[in-house]
Amino acid sequence: MQDNINLFGKPTPRVDGIAKVTGAARFSSDERVLNPAYAYLVTSTIARGRISAFKLDRAKAVAGVLDIFTHENIGGETKTDTGPDGHPSTTSLESDRVWYDGQIIGIVVAETYEAAREAAHKVEVLYAPETPSATISSAGTETEPHKPERQPDPNKGDAQGAFAGAAVKLDAQYGTPSQHHNPIELFTVTCAWDGPKLTIHEPSQFMWGTKASVAKQLKIDPDHVRAISRYVGGAFGSKGPNPRTAWIAIAARHVRRPVKLVPTRDQGFSIATYRAQTRQHVKLGAASDGKLVSLSHEGWELTSRPSGYNVAGVGSTARMYACPNIATAVNVVHADRNTPGFMRAPPETPYMFGLESAMDELAYALKMDPIELRRVNDTQTDPVSGLPFSSRSLMQCFDQAAAQFGWARRNAEPASMRDGDWMVGYGCATACYPSNIGPAAVRVALTPKGKAFVGLAGHEIGTGAYTVVAITAARALGLDIKDVTVHLGDSELPPIMIAGGSNNAASASNAVVKACEELRRRIAEAAVRAGDSPLHGADASTLKMAAGKLIGPADRQEPLHIAVARTGQHLEAYAENIPQGLPPTAVADMSKGKTAMLGGSARKDVTAYAFGAHFVEVRVHSRTREIRVARVVSAFAAGTIINPTTAHSQFMSGAIWGLSSALLEKTELDEDTARYVNDNLADYLLPVNADVPSVEIIMVQEKDTQVNPLGVKGIGEIGIVGMNAAVANAIFHATGKRVRDLPIRAENLLEG
Amino acid sequence: MRSFVYQSAGNLSQALTLGRGTGQGQTDATAQYLAGGTTLIDLMKLDVLRPQRLVNIDALRGDYGAIQITANGLHLGALATMAAAAEHPAVSADYPAIAQSLKLAASAQLRNMASLGGNVLQKTRCPYYRDPSWSACNKRSPGSGCAAIAGYNRNHAVLGVDASCISQYPGDLGVALIALEAQVEVAGPQGARRIPFASLHTPANGQPHIETTLKPGEILVAFLVPAAPFNRRSLYLKVRDRSSYEFAIASAAVALELDGRTVRQARIGLGGMAYQPWRAEEAEQMLIGKPLTLSNAESAATFALKDAITHGHNDYKPELARRTVVRALLEAGA
Amino acid sequence: MTSITRREVLTGGTALAAVGVEPLFAKQREASSADAAGTVRVKLMVNGKTHDLNLDPRVTVLDALREQLHLTGTKKGCDQGQCGACTIHLDGRRVLSCLTLAVAAQAKAIKTIEGLALPDGSLHPMQRAFIEQDGFQCGYCTPGQIMSAVACVEEGHANTDADIREYMSGNLCRCAAYPKILAAIKQARGQMEHG
Repeated sequence: MQDNINLFGKPTPRVDGIAKVTGAARFSSDERVLNPAYAYLVTSTIARGRISAFKLDRAKAVAGVLDIFTHENIGGETKTDTGPDGHPSTTSLESDRVWYDGQIIGIVVAETYEAAREAAHKVEVLYAPETPSATISSAGTETEPHKPERQPDPNKGDAQGAFAGAAVKLDAQYGTPSQHHNPIELFTVTCAWDGPKLTIHEPSQFMWGTKASVAKQLKIDPDHVRAISRYVGGAFGSKGPNPRTAWIAIAARHVRRPVKLVPTRDQGFSIATYRAQTRQHVKLGAASDGKLVSLSHEGWELTSRPSGYNVAGVGSTARMYACPNIATAVNVVHADRNTPGFMRAPPETPYMFGLESAMDELAYALKMDPIELRRVNDTQTDPVSGLPFSSRSLMQCFDQAAAQFGWARRNAEPASMRDGDWMVGYGCATACYPSNIGPAAVRVALTPKGKAFVGLAGHEIGTGAYTVVAITAARALGLDIKDVTVHLGDSELPPIMIAGGSNNAASASNAVVKACEELRRRIAEAAVRAGDSPLHGADASTLKMAAGKLIGPADRQEPLHIAVARTGQHLEAYAENIPQGLPPTAVADMSKGKTAMLGGSARKDVTAYAFGAHFVEVRVHSRTREIRVARVVSAFAAGTIINPTTAHSQFMSGAIWGLSSALLEKTELDEDTARYVNDNLADYLLPVNADVPSVEIIMVQEKDTQVNPLGVKGIGEIGIVGMNAAVANAIFHATGKRVRDLPIRAENLLEG
Repeated sequence: MRSFVYQSAGNLSQALTLGRGTGQGQTDATAQYLAGGTTLIDLMKLDVLRPQRLVNIDALRGDYGAIQITANGLHLGALATMAAAAEHPAVSADYPAIAQSLKLAASAQLRNMASLGGNVLQKTRCPYYRDPSWSACNKRSPGSGCAAIAGYNRNHAVLGVDASCISQYPGDLGVALIALEAQVEVAGPQGARRIPFASLHTPANGQPHIETTLKPGEILVAFLVPAAPFNRRSLYLKVRDRSSYEFAIASAAVALELDGRTVRQARIGLGGMAYQPWRAEEAEQMLIGKPLTLSNAESAATFALKDAITHGHNDYKPELARRTVVRALLEAGA
Repeated sequence: MTSITRREVLTGGTALAAVGVEPLFAKQREASSADAAGTVRVKLMVNGKTHDLNLDPRVTVLDALREQLHLTGTKKGCDQGQCGACTIHLDGRRVLSCLTLAVAAQAKAIKTIEGLALPDGSLHPMQRAFIEQDGFQCGYCTPGQIMSAVACVEEGHANTDADIREYMSGNLCRCAAYPKILAAIKQARGQMEHG
């Protein structure tokens, strides 16, 4: 199959482009429901303790209020689901318990949004508060080693002994902050009942997970739950199954009307997940030629009191470079916070900051070019398991990006390069991300007029999913993309794994190809049997579909619509793709909300990663020390690129997220109360257009015959990985100041 | 947002009749004038401001929205939008600090909405003020305390603060106006008056809930920036984490009159740093008669920050402010 | 038992009375009871069409568009003037509909993303340019970006890359399509001027 696939597809504009530029694309809160009532959340204002009492008189007196729901009147109506990762998590309306600031403790439902908001502001709550812990360094946290889930933490040889004997050593502590996804679309949900059947309009990156989770919480038949999410206004890991939805469904059941919730921006900080704060300890030992002899990486990750959620990025950092002695460990630190969750490259974004900062520090200690340090430690073999990488083009990425960037112009001496009043620094770092694939099912129909319809409960979160599916189906069926209509975002359609771990393009495209192959087989077999077909008697397995025709050997062919018509009016195929190594029940398991993915170091045959290299030029004002990024060149090798247009956007977006992660994004807390204080888009800083300079993306050719049949590696997350370190490295180069805690801001550079 | 009575004033006298419940910036004022609404509607949604009456004064823009430059100086109608003043070619040419302070503020959309009067009266961005679930905020609830002092205060003021409030004045235009010695024309039920811009905002002084010297019902109708030889050599320098659409972490409005390299007159306003629009008059004096050198600029800047009080997260501010003032002076003098 | 408002926090284990807040509530209650149920007649002119509505005076243009007129192209991203997703044109100038009360927008021409393409469906040059340059990913901020971009060109703020970046900085794009938004505006700029 690989031979039939170009490594780079034809750059294709998004098939949903017109819908998105005209306002016609319907996001969840755009979906019209009949006679909705409006919900407004009441959230806790303490981070730990219990609710003693609600006083609702003044709230209920607001004209238009239909009802107010709290643990007192609906607390028993759900069965608490586990967190997104299967861990037990915090509760919300189940009881009087307050686990964190901003926890949902009440829902006001009213005739209008304005009335619901006013009433929510008039709800009075009496608490029995306890002293909370806010961050990793706060008093009162509880720390424990994490429980490795799929595989043990990488450990090999004698890292401690090798470090002691190393010629050159680096031993440093790093920190990354809490960060919030802040998709521009809010965490909306609308629930409407029709008898026993529930329809949910909610942005979701796991349609079948939402359906299963809500059914479980409400203790109803999953077949009675339909989740719809045709477009998702940014997800980045934040829009999986969650405890909010069921409560809105319960509210809708009580008021006997559809209920629409559009929570506020600040509520989004606590009613959804976020990237946890980490501390990291990295020790690198190298021989004088730069070869690593010892690598130790230990992490501490913040989580909520009940949840063991952690990302354990040492699973990736231990595999970046050849090293005979490796020690890793991960600890979770429980505090009075909402449970964190997946956020774009969850393990690699924080942990590669530690490793790639340390590699840069080591390069300076060795007086070695940081690219050369990566080169002498490059490997085609997973240093932990000894398995081969399915493909690894790290140094090709470094070399192509370095040439484009002009790395040769760098004077290695810190604080040596200037442009007027601005200090100039160059930095680089490795990017990586495991190449995952998950189960997917799809239905493809082909009409006698040569129009194809493809349906799966996929997720358009900005990745270009509609387009990737359309391209894949069009190519497999030999149709023009205009003749392919794609339906996603509806749990009535066949399931696909959560849009996480950058698996969905690989998962969907491999399933689509399977279904299309089934259609081809049926059409071809009908043709070779038919006496009136020019293909009569040919070997069905050799027939191809291309350019709207069914084509056989020796120029024997017939128009596709004739071949399709011969099979009957309704030609439809259903296919499941369950990657080898996943349980055969993986598709069925999705109806229970179970997630299963294969990739990275979880495979038995190969270790599957995509790699990349970031180069960045930063400028620091010599007097006021503002930090500005001047330009970025990033190269990635990620196997087959189905649509270079959207792939380029994904890589670029990731790289900009990396800049932002390095320089802007930090969720700030009031330490004593464990409450978020910059929970808005003026104070939680996302980059604006003026922050983003030229970003050049190089897509390095890479043919991978082992990662999956189409050779597709995920691309949605790799772009962010390592960029935070590249920026920190560039700031060191510009100023001579090494900052090991993110974000790096003017105040970190004012001395000297 | 609480319910309110919405009224629209057709002219100034109607507005003054309807607006008697406006106070001196108090959060519990029972009436609010609605111009651009960019601060007001935001704070009403947050349940911070709870006026019972909104008086729309948009219609006054015709009479009080003009921008003119005369021999006496610059006249900015207080109902003019930030965009109108920012994009006015003569303001950019003759009063660059004013134009720059506006261009570097907010976003294009907000500048199209916000009036100049509303902009200089905008409320602090202190998170403890902007969220009524924090009980301790003397500005919002007099006598309740200040949560910011021991809380998260990275962008809180270091000048003009006291034990009652360390909130920061977030504006940019106000910094330029105070540096350039602007006057404010005020209309009110008792008639019109003109006051120095420097006396519009009141110091914290243990009662931060009172923010201005305005009398109930009064409306800002114009700003007058007097003609002066230093106006053309003025600039507004804004330091912030991201490149745009952010409040300052430090800013400086400076104006210089030079005789060769010798400073004849200097004006220095500080933003992102103080409880209210801040002018460093003593620092200005230190420069007069001296050459504009790095070391003289540094001495003046150091003096401007000598009374700074920090509270932890904002410990960096005095140093950043010193550097900002030095950079602004040297750039203005170049 | 001391009562405390929902938005009061407790310290030291005791409920603090809402010092200085209760009297205000007392005043507010009277006002609310007198006016809460009251709606006002509001006439909105949207994309050339006039709509007569009965609205709570608290309704913003954004919520009126979305919930009353079902013009959902205009998006709510922050509802407090910090993201630009709700950008519309009001009398030809770009403004934020989340901070504009509907009652205050009467007699003004409102243009939304739904009014940008020609009635026959042919796209505005800016809309075409956003598609051709891939100037978006999830598409949520896109209507606001495009309304802002059209105004940016019309204002004359699209002459240089630096100007475009600065004058488009009031529209956050979390997918970070910024370089492609810049490219789209540069593409459409010429077509708008010559078209």
